[in-house]
Amino acid sequence: MSADITAPGEPLAAAAADGGGVIHNIGYRRYDAERYGRARIVLALTWHSFRTAFGLGRGAMAKIFPWLMFVLLCLPAVVNAVGLAIHPGSQPVVGYDAYIPSLRAVAMLIFVAIEAPNLVSADLRNHTLPLYFARPIRRIDYPLAKLLAFVLACLVMVEVPLLLLYLGTVTQQHGASQVLEQTLQLAPGLLYGAAWAVLLASIGLLLASATGKRVFAICAIGIPLFFSFILSHVLEHVGEQAFGPAGPGEPSALASLAGLISPFTLLGGVLRWLQAPRGDRVQAQMIQATIVGHYGWVYGAVFLLLTAAAIGGLIARYRKVGVA
Amino acid sequence: MIVRPTQARDPAREPAAGAVIEARGLTKQYGTTVTALDNLTVSVQPGITGLIGANGAGKSTLIKILLGLLEPTSGHAEVLGHDCVREGFAIRTLTGYMPEHDCLPPDVSATELVTHFGRMSGLPATAARERAADSLRHVGLYEERYRHIGTYSTGMKQRVKLAQALVGDPRLLLLDEPTNGLDPAGRTAMLDLVARIGSEFGISILVASHLLGEIEQICDHLVAIDGGRLLRADSISSVTRATAVLLVEVDEGTELLQAALADRGMSPVPYQRGLLVPLTSDEVYDVVRDSVAALGLPLRLMEQRRHRIEELFRADATVPALDVPDSPAGSAQTTGVARVR
Repeated sequence: MSADITAPGEPLAAAAADGGGVIHNIGYRRYDAERYGRARIVLALTWHSFRTAFGLGRGAMAKIFPWLMFVLLCLPAVVNAVGLAIHPGSQPVVGYDAYIPSLRAVAMLIFVAIEAPNLVSADLRNHTLPLYFARPIRRIDYPLAKLLAFVLACLVMVEVPLLLLYLGTVTQQHGASQVLEQTLQLAPGLLYGAAWAVLLASIGLLLASATGKRVFAICAIGIPLFFSFILSHVLEHVGEQAFGPAGPGEPSALASLAGLISPFTLLGGVLRWLQAPRGDRVQAQMIQATIVGHYGWVYGAVFLLLTAAAIGGLIARYRKVGVA
Repeated sequence: MIVRPTQARDPAREPAAGAVIEARGLTKQYGTTVTALDNLTVSVQPGITGLIGANGAGKSTLIKILLGLLEPTSGHAEVLGHDCVREGFAIRTLTGYMPEHDCLPPDVSATELVTHFGRMSGLPATAARERAADSLRHVGLYEERYRHIGTYSTGMKQRVKLAQALVGDPRLLLLDEPTNGLDPAGRTAMLDLVARIGSEFGISILVASHLLGEIEQICDHLVAIDGGRLLRADSISSVTRATAVLLVEVDEGTELLQAALADRGMSPVPYQRGLLVPLTSDEVYDVVRDSVAALGLPLRLMEQRRHRIEELFRADATVPALDVPDSPAGSAQTTGVARVR
């Protein structure tokens, strides 16, 4: 960053002679300094897209929804911190694992439905992709950078409230053992939050990349996510009217599998399955947890398959997309 | 006034000594029915080269193959010594591409956009900002570069498209219809800009257009394709010399003039209300002038013209084909009053 920006001496002297105020054509300057490779270019695109997801570098209107949803998600953690400050020694208001599932589901649904189109649909609508593909990156780099950026953005949305919850709790506690206990509870919560981020980001981008029209893309994400969420709950309630083969106490297959329909209840089912061995404590915390019955492993498998399919679909989408 | 950095230059980025583009037997088929390129063999030298062809002649397809974005069905192509199929990555670090169609997001400023694509070309953040400012200045965008692109005129958008191609300091620019959608003044300005980039900046340029009269003014070489086939590849001077005609209109006595010119060894053909005279040499202007003066005819118009591209580039176009079309619209192109003596 030195030689290539050296100002030529002649125009400067001329400007001084004219008393300044003269714009000189300094000609074309070659760029011979450092050039980044593919990895750094992809990182630059990732960072640019990450900022886009939060409306940074865009107008004031673009910041409203992401930040509103972020504040909404942080509210329980703030309430927790205030509550513990007033009544020291009481239990945290919400758990690290499920947080408040319905709040998280609604806030993330809105965030994904609004921001995923901003990351991918805009480039499709404006036919900007040829400009990217004419750069020294490969086809696959564009969707991967977008995916990485959006997973990071969703991680911020999901994990930062958990960290606030943790901070608000441990600052009111005394003794290393209590802090350690909170930390041990936080860790799986963060991991589970990462599952939310990866699944929702990949589904959101895949659906958004189907169309260049922003409104259509928002609908393409919002409507299936919302109605599958509703449908899953309805079916679960219907299924609760019946029992499983083992009689009362065991949920029916319908109730157990209804949660697979929606990504949100699917995630709830994954949590239920992973925590099942720990028994009662989970039941108490998971007021709105998905019923999984004996089918917990199905939730795990569907989660993995769905994530892989969404990512694969996204990459395939950009392998086929036209360059003009 | 070009400031040369003192540090050692990367030899890979030096301009190629030989051809910048080499295509051999290049064929591209879409499906089984559409043939966009048909066994095209052409070599493009450094400098400004016009890629001429009607819409659908295969110009955009060729450019995309050269960028490594499309794979040819068969044949081989090299850009700056790199194979288009295997080394598209290397080619794209050395080339700038200006697409034909609108490709700019409306809700960002030109500065933001060009800086972003500078980074996408591998420039570090600071360098990308500096070169974006430079590129936008070179294409003639000043204060307006901070406004959203959505508020720009078509001419300004075309300039931004050119600036984003220029920002990575390419060795070769591939410009697809840079004058698309511009008014005559805008076209002239854009062509001047392309000419300046080619001559002053030392960047080789392949500029695709369907208007021969337009880009012949700025090109060193012409490559004409039609239906995916090469019609002709030649230096601009030979093409212009071989194919130009002079349109002469007099208020009365057209037949007299035709006879007089025929007597002096020319082959004038009636066209609308005037005569078309093959411009075989510069003396034609003088002969026509003298003939008109000798007959005492009121001269109204003397203008250099040319026919449709397909006719122009007939392999044996030493004498232009003067089969006069029925309708003047779209058949004859004026190459500009500036060429009339």
